Amino acid sequence: MTTVRIFFEKRGEAAYISLLDLQRVFHRLLKISGLPVWYTLGFNPHIYLSFSCPLSLGQESICESCEVKTEAPAVDGDAWAAALQPLMPRGIRILRVAPAQDKPGEIASAEYAITMPASSAAALDAYNERTGAPVVKKTKRGQKTLELKEYLPRVEYQLEGESLHFTLTLPSASGEGVNLNPALLLGFLETLGGAPAWQCTVLRTHLYTKNGKDFC
Amino acid sequence: MPEVVNTISPKLREALGQVQKPGRYTGGEPGCTYKDKSEVDVRMAFCFPDTYEIGMSFLGEKILYELLNRHENWWCERAFMPWTDMKAEMERLGIPLYCLESKDPLTDFDIVGFSLEYELCYTNVLAMLRLSGIPLRAADRDERWPLIIAGGPCVCNAEPMADFFDIMQLGEGEQMLQDICATVEQGKKLGWNKETLLLALAKIPGVYVPSFYDVRYLEDGRVESIRPNRPGVPERVTKAIINMDDYTPPENFVVPMVGAVQDRASVEVLRGCVRGCRFCQAGQIYRPFRERSPQLISDSARVLCHNTGYDELSLTSLSTSDHSRLEDILDGLNSWAEQDHVSLSLPSLRVDNFSQSLVEKTTKVRKSGLTFAAEAGTQRLRDVINKNVTWEQIERGCRIAFEEGYTSVKLYFMMGLPTETLEDIKGIADTAQKVVDLYYSLDHAKGKGVQVTCSVACFVPKPDTPFQFCAQDRRETLREKQKYLLSCVHSRKIKVNYHDSATSVLEGVFAKGDRRLGKVIETAFENGAFFDTWEEYFDFDRWQAAFAACGLDPDFYNYRPLGLDEVTPWSHLDVGVSHGFLVREYEKALRAETTQPCNRQCNGCGANKLLGGPCFDYSQDLL
Repeated sequence: MTTVRIFFEKRGEAAYISLLDLQRVFHRLLKISGLPVWYTLGFNPHIYLSFSCPLSLGQESICESCEVKTEAPAVDGDAWAAALQPLMPRGIRILRVAPAQDKPGEIASAEYAITMPASSAAALDAYNERTGAPVVKKTKRGQKTLELKEYLPRVEYQLEGESLHFTLTLPSASGEGVNLNPALLLGFLETLGGAPAWQCTVLRTHLYTKNGKDFC
Repeated sequence: MPEVVNTISPKLREALGQVQKPGRYTGGEPGCTYKDKSEVDVRMAFCFPDTYEIGMSFLGEKILYELLNRHENWWCERAFMPWTDMKAEMERLGIPLYCLESKDPLTDFDIVGFSLEYELCYTNVLAMLRLSGIPLRAADRDERWPLIIAGGPCVCNAEPMADFFDIMQLGEGEQMLQDICATVEQGKKLGWNKETLLLALAKIPGVYVPSFYDVRYLEDGRVESIRPNRPGVPERVTKAIINMDDYTPPENFVVPMVGAVQDRASVEVLRGCVRGCRFCQAGQIYRPFRERSPQLISDSARVLCHNTGYDELSLTSLSTSDHSRLEDILDGLNSWAEQDHVSLSLPSLRVDNFSQSLVEKTTKVRKSGLTFAAEAGTQRLRDVINKNVTWEQIERGCRIAFEEGYTSVKLYFMMGLPTETLEDIKGIADTAQKVVDLYYSLDHAKGKGVQVTCSVACFVPKPDTPFQFCAQDRRETLREKQKYLLSCVHSRKIKVNYHDSATSVLEGVFAKGDRRLGKVIETAFENGAFFDTWEEYFDFDRWQAAFAACGLDPDFYNYRPLGLDEVTPWSHLDVGVSHGFLVREYEKALRAETTQPCNRQCNGCGANKLLGGPCFDYSQDLL
């Protein structure tokens, strides 16, 4: 049995598909594709399907992935991608299909490209001058306060016409480790006079493993 | 497919960032149709006046979406009523209501069509027009506005909404809507004005142009006459119907990503109903009974499951077990379902022909609950309403179900039925108790109890049924009956569900109302009414104020029995069933006499004239 990882982009309209809905969509589209994916063996057999590091609603990504299993002796990634792409909803583009090399537990951090209106520069400057930036993180087990500065002491940005850009690398561990959403920073910046979240775009560009390589 | 990143405008992005379930407003689902709008001649916005999750459950839209989009030069898209948070955002940001596929506002379309499935969605229609910036009343729109049309079962009494629509479709849309689009295409090419277009549309079978009819009233408020006010317009509009085997059921669905209420493949196996339950509007207005052939059902269902990726298939109709070849259908479906990882479900089975082999053929995969519609608590009242079901049949059905391992049964009842007494109400509790007792009299898994749920709805007399002549029970009476019913239930194994009757009151008024009610609907809407189907937004006081402001008495419409010779507000709309038949059935009901299902014996309802011949070959033994 081989674990196959499907990498895809989730942009535009597709940014508004929630994880729960995305699972259902992939389940159906894999079924339509007729690809030799493995079905679980229970009373109601269903396709084994698992997403790593789900993205927040409204954020975009060029490095999403999910994994399925197959009993096929060889996996022709290009053929799988070609079978899946025409079925996908608007905004989802299959990037690559290949046997999985890393386990999802290996994921340690994620890189994001953030775009904000240029008027938010003052808020970023204020952030960089502060010594502390406490934020409240809501989890299923309740709220806890985190110190953003521990992870992001400074944010260096570039102004470009009407907007400004910067790149963030945030811990993104699955399971017990710390997992930070860029929305926490954007929310904090808003309290400093930064633009509201809907005026910002968040694009996840990389998922990295513990040893700093791209998750694959 | 066009390249898509960034089809979302900054304003829409802002709105989507503020609302729950933004996926309802983005479109892009698998199965959507996209076309180049510069290359299409007719654009239709198919609007469902309720939320995305409900609208996407509606089979009619899927049928018509596929049929229209098969025409290369027509493009049918979808719009739904945004939930209150999104509606508020759209109003705040000045985003007009748009179709999900192109994101173009409804004003860019040639035809804006609404499906009228239930009376309480009427204010949502107005809300959607307002969100689009389209004038509400047909009289205020010339040919520069889209043609605003309606279809669906509520059109059988179109009058309360008649002021708002340019045309309304009576009957089945498969052919009619294509004819409408073709006529609109022709009108656009020839530069017709609205009057010319409406006159051409009025010639299409089933099309009703409300502005071409004048309604006169008697002094006491009843309708005196409804007459066409132009030459070449029919005195009565006759419902459009199709032959079920002339139309392949949809082989592709737009598959919602945000879960719809009915999120599965479904195929319609028959239309109409042979039963003739006297309270049931669907059983009358979808006549005559027509079956689809097993081969066509099985073949197109398989393609549908393949194209959509659904793993659950539901057979839909008013009464699936009345298909004369149901076993053939199930054998056909079972020949591929398992290997395609598809499970079957059959809603709408009847207790009286619910068989062992049927259960076995449908419960291969999953056991859900079972529902039996008894409708009334005593045999006398079941005879009155012509629900030809006996306690013995209910018992048999439950016995089979319990022996198959089911432990929960749901029973449907109504209260407020004509001739009903407290004894009939007590009968509901007694029936439920007998089902509980039956369970414990049989071998059952140790420690496993039974749950019997009684769902008790308030009866609303509907037009085109034998009970259209009846007055609706008053709200106070229904409340007393509900209280009495609870006092009759003595077991914890029985759960009784019922609703407050305020929405039923309004439903009754609009079901049997006339054209004057348009201004009541408009007034209530202007005073803030929408999403009346949703209890948390329904405000009965607002409606009462609207009636008062318009000088109309709601009680006149639903608490007054109709004379058998009275001109009804829907008398010019012919659904096939004759007035004489309805009177006969009403009189039989008062005598508690039943009528045979029409596959056993023709009862002369008149709907067969739509087919041009008898509905059944009575020389053969059909049962």
